[in-house]
Amino acid sequence: MNSHELLTIYSAKAIEYLIAVAYVVLFIPFWRYVNGRPAAARVPAAERARGGQPTDWFRMAEGILFHPGHAWARVESPDLVTVGLDDFAGKLVGSLSSIDLPAEGTPLAQGERAWTLQTRAGAIDMLSPVDGTVFAVNHAAVSSPRLPIEAPYEEGWLLKVRGRRLAANANQLLSGSLARRWMEDLTDRLRSHMGLELGLVYEDGGLMIDGFANVLDPEHPELVAKHFLLTDGGGSHA
Amino acid sequence: MHTSNTARQALPVSWVRDKLLMGMSLRRYLRSLATPFDAVAALILLVGVPVIIYRFTFGLGAVTNLSQANPWGLWIGLDVLSGVALAAGGFTLASVVYIFGLKQYHAVVRPAILTGFLGYFFVVVGLIVDLGRPWKLPVPLVYSWGTGSVMFEVAWCVCLYLIVLALEFSPALFEWLGLRKLREWIVGLTIALTVFGVMLSTLHQSSLGALFLLVPHRLHPLWYTPFVPIHFFVSAIIAGLSMVIVESGLSHRIFRNQIGASAHADLEYITLGLGKAASVVLFAYFFLKIQALADSGAWALLNTPYGYWYLVEVLGFVLLPCVLLAHAVRRGNVALVRAGAAVAVAGVVLNRLNVSVVAMNWNAGVRYVPSWMEVVTSMAVITIGVLTFRFIVNRMPVLHQHPAYQPH
Amino acid sequence: MSLSRRRFLKCASATGAAALVARPVSAAAAALRTGRTPAVLVDTTRCLGCRACEAACSEKNQLPPPVKAGDESVFETRRTTDVNTFTVVNRGGGPDGSHEARYVKSQCMHCLDPGCASACPAKALEKTFEGPVVYNRERCLGCRYCMLACPFDVPRFEYEKASPYVRKCSFCADRQKQGLAPACVEVCPSGTLQFGTRDALLEEARTRIYQNPKKYVHHIYGEEEVGGTSWLYITDVPFERLGFRTDLSPTSAPELSRTALAAVPFVLTLWPPLLMGLYTFSRRREEAEKAGAGESESNHAHE
Repeated sequence: MNSHELLTIYSAKAIEYLIAVAYVVLFIPFWRYVNGRPAAARVPAAERARGGQPTDWFRMAEGILFHPGHAWARVESPDLVTVGLDDFAGKLVGSLSSIDLPAEGTPLAQGERAWTLQTRAGAIDMLSPVDGTVFAVNHAAVSSPRLPIEAPYEEGWLLKVRGRRLAANANQLLSGSLARRWMEDLTDRLRSHMGLELGLVYEDGGLMIDGFANVLDPEHPELVAKHFLLTDGGGSHA
Repeated sequence: MHTSNTARQALPVSWVRDKLLMGMSLRRYLRSLATPFDAVAALILLVGVPVIIYRFTFGLGAVTNLSQANPWGLWIGLDVLSGVALAAGGFTLASVVYIFGLKQYHAVVRPAILTGFLGYFFVVVGLIVDLGRPWKLPVPLVYSWGTGSVMFEVAWCVCLYLIVLALEFSPALFEWLGLRKLREWIVGLTIALTVFGVMLSTLHQSSLGALFLLVPHRLHPLWYTPFVPIHFFVSAIIAGLSMVIVESGLSHRIFRNQIGASAHADLEYITLGLGKAASVVLFAYFFLKIQALADSGAWALLNTPYGYWYLVEVLGFVLLPCVLLAHAVRRGNVALVRAGAAVAVAGVVLNRLNVSVVAMNWNAGVRYVPSWMEVVTSMAVITIGVLTFRFIVNRMPVLHQHPAYQPH
Repeated sequence: MSLSRRRFLKCASATGAAALVARPVSAAAAALRTGRTPAVLVDTTRCLGCRACEAACSEKNQLPPPVKAGDESVFETRRTTDVNTFTVVNRGGGPDGSHEARYVKSQCMHCLDPGCASACPAKALEKTFEGPVVYNRERCLGCRYCMLACPFDVPRFEYEKASPYVRKCSFCADRQKQGLAPACVEVCPSGTLQFGTRDALLEEARTRIYQNPKKYVHHIYGEEEVGGTSWLYITDVPFERLGFRTDLSPTSAPELSRTALAAVPFVLTLWPPLLMGLYTFSRRREEAEKAGAGESESNHAHE
């Protein structure tokens, strides 16, 4: 197949040049086509509709202000907030035998002890997210301690608090994208510590383990829990 | 947030359980392996590993359909040649991120390097299975240098590049082991390693093609061209880009638990970007193939059975993915980009098999067809590679950042 | 006619020095040895098909004796060399109109610029200065690239063994070192095989063709094929009829891969500055972008 004798080389080279020229000419429109303005990257509709991020381990909610000790506050009116514990805290302890809520009229201070979770591993305090006075207690949560774990931001709310310094309190709380980043950061650190295989995680990526304090320290889960909820007496701020 | 001393003391767990079993008890870990994928993998290994042992005990003739007329077969075409091409994502993405400075692609550079490292590692494994006297592998490396041979150059380049890839991956390993000083030191070498890696990759990707320069008497004229080294190099880039697209798409589904929400959105951008690059390179490669045809003057051969097969390879697996990818990128259709990339990957594998097996000895009497044992062996080697990938990705910071370290 | 030891040593040291300079050894060897390298002329018009050469070869190399010795039916199928058969004699059609047959001996052609030796990454197959292409079994990896590279399908592989070697004719290199002719040539009763220097044998072949132009095909097989071989053939029937490959180009295998190998130093030299240049360029651009972003941020802060 030797087409390299001189006479045949003329035609062979001519064809090669033509092909090269055709390539260069065609390249320009091709490049422009490929770089054409794309429509918004199409995300499968199901994912978009879900709204929340399917792979997040810990659920957050809109319109909520988070305290680094994993209590949350939702402003109902300029001087009334609903208060509860967040999904992280719920998954941290896993299950509650009961919950000790302060009585109506009890004063609360932001960053001070507010209520106590009674778990299998013992009593674990949580800090109040706001200053104020307890206005109402969620008796449903008291009688059914599953509720704050399963619906922490909805039916599982814990207290309604009347406060006068809510605006100032809000400066110490996390919300919106800051809160999300805080939670993602926490999740990342947990992931790298806890191990990443599917055994700990549902098919769709949700965290399977309830009470992962028990996974982190089977001997003393209450120490781990207090550490995260900032009630281990170590004096800590996020 | 500072950790109290009591909290730190209160997190024991032996190193084995923490690092290797990911914090689970042995029983739980074994139970977590009861998935359909693991069952299939176990089946493949159950058959494949004994076959490999049999091959080493009784020789190549007992296991393969290789013959005096057909000395190279599936193991060379698939395990070695295709394996090296598909592992090209390592040097391609490393160039993109570290040399061209396109940090937007950072999220996929570590998986690409891991794929590259494991790819080359298991190429060497596959080669050892194919070599008649694998224990002599050090000979051309240490003291008997056949410098006139392209294969000599390939052997050296692959060896050196395997070391480079190991070093490029080591930051992830050191982060996992908590060896901070070592990790910082190695990260400082990134540019040097990348340049060295690109150089070595250029050489051996093209040299694997140059191996076939020696066989004009055996290789069908449509596939024999003096430009085969350039073709192999360019198609390796295509394979590398496409493999990263495919592999990242699969990883994001399979290892969902590791990947945060923002990373998913990032991957769409990355996939589109890589798809665009792959499409452009495919366009150029298509014309390279036409040029090779013009150079050989073998146009008439297109109208033969081998010619039709050649057209299938070039039109169906080069031109088609080029167009698919271009269209998909323009429309922002990430799923279609992944499909196009898969076709491109298949096309490169097909090309390697064509050159080494299908179009090789095309004019000989007895044609070679791989035996079932060869197929099972290749599957076993690939399966072990995939399992290793999963093992590493589940434990080391490949698909996610290690929170204690700066991204590099 | 054999070559004197002194000439060997002179040439060997000169070639050795030349070879140490980066050119492939085979090319240097070929340049110096072409004329005086040992060769064999095979005149197929004289071959009786007695297969004494096969017997001598198997005895010298301690191989099993040739199959079907003395049995004419062995020629009914075309045989090739094998792991335990370093040379074979095949039968082909005789001149047109005659009922004669022609017999052709096949073995390693000991090319001047061999593909197998250039392909071998471990120099297990080696073109020696003395001429023969020999096999150093202790270096062999079993990669079988030599089998692909050889246009004559000569090297054979011991697939049935767990510790396999490549097997082929050695041109009786050890006998040649002692000044003897290869075993097959010694034993040939009909003068088909003639041992000598390549130049002298080419002369002889040309002479025979010139003196019998109607009898012989005007071509010496092995003179140019793949850069020239040590075993030269002349026939009186078309070479295809005797099973020779006639589609081989005069370009030797090492010539074919020369450009690819020559590119290696270029990549090694040019890639680092090229890549570092790209790296510097992209770094500059990144820093410029960061500076620009920093400026606009501070502008915003002031607002």
